[in-house]
Amino acid sequence: MQPDFIGRLQYRLLELGCPVFQMRHLTRELADHREDLKQAALAEGLTEIEAAAHADSQLGDPRYLAEQKMIMLRQSSWWGRHFIIGFCLLPLLTAPFLWLLFLLGNLALAYFLGYGGNSKKMIAASENPAIFHYMHMGFRLADYLAMAMVALVFCWLARRAAVRFTWLVSACLICSFYSLFLSVEVRPHNFSVGIFLWPHWLRAAMPLLIVGAVYILRQWSLHKERQKVAI
Amino acid sequence: MVAAMKKTNPSFLNGVPELLVLRLLSRQEMYGYQIVEQIRVQTRSALSFGEGCIYPYLHYLESEKWVSSQRRTVDGRNRNYYQLTDRGHQRLEELTGEWERITAGVSLLMGGAYAA
Repeated sequence: MQPDFIGRLQYRLLELGCPVFQMRHLTRELADHREDLKQAALAEGLTEIEAAAHADSQLGDPRYLAEQKMIMLRQSSWWGRHFIIGFCLLPLLTAPFLWLLFLLGNLALAYFLGYGGNSKKMIAASENPAIFHYMHMGFRLADYLAMAMVALVFCWLARRAAVRFTWLVSACLICSFYSLFLSVEVRPHNFSVGIFLWPHWLRAAMPLLIVGAVYILRQWSLHKERQKVAI
Repeated sequence: MVAAMKKTNPSFLNGVPELLVLRLLSRQEMYGYQIVEQIRVQTRSALSFGEGCIYPYLHYLESEKWVSSQRRTVDGRNRNYYQLTDRGHQRLEELTGEWERITAGVSLLMGGAYAA
């Protein structure tokens, strides 16, 4: 396929947030189709260059094609069709529960991996300030990781549904807001989960850092693609 | 040509491509180029559109599990063959019924059955 046709198509698809797998799927089939068109044109007596130009014109405008692909892609999933519910309302309703679920999952995993030992050991450890410091760090890590996982779930859903980046930002902002006040507090012989009035700024930055990383990654892919097609 | 499609075939976004593709695939499995060719031949070029547009529709139909695809090499060329699934047959029946209802209604109006 003519490099600038496929390049422009790929660039636009990436710009619109198309998953790489979907992009390859489309371009591969278009390459086959273009070859068929070219062969048909050659059989009609056109030259190689004329046949290639004819094939490109028959395929249509790559920018419009990319937009059509995105419309169809968004139509094909619940998250793509109901992006306001999925990335505004649902994070509002579910983020705290998801966070709690992931937190308990992380703690359970740590326990089963042998980091918790048994309850007697834990009680003993909580009385030793040096060991308790590490325990506290472990809980804090599980807590941060849980909030990061909530943000990552929404990133994954947004990527899968190919929704606009704005909706991902919206979901991560909601996660960030919850991160300010939802927390886990560990004291010797005392473990509490809930809403705390003093804000955790560093924790709240986690979902924002994730969405920032996604944005940078996206810009980097776009930059690479732009260099390839010299746009 | 693509711009023309946007202006002249707005219904192309409202179930017509689905109906055409499902109908063609109900007869035999086809790949993208074949589908476009068949649409052109069987509609006597009444529908003109950027041929690449067929693929987003095919992928959508596939994601809805109305068609399934299989990549095969035929005469040294790789092609994605699409075929109708059982769900696709049901969907085709629904769309055909809907289409017949609409065309019957439009025909009545155009034929002036209720004209004063």
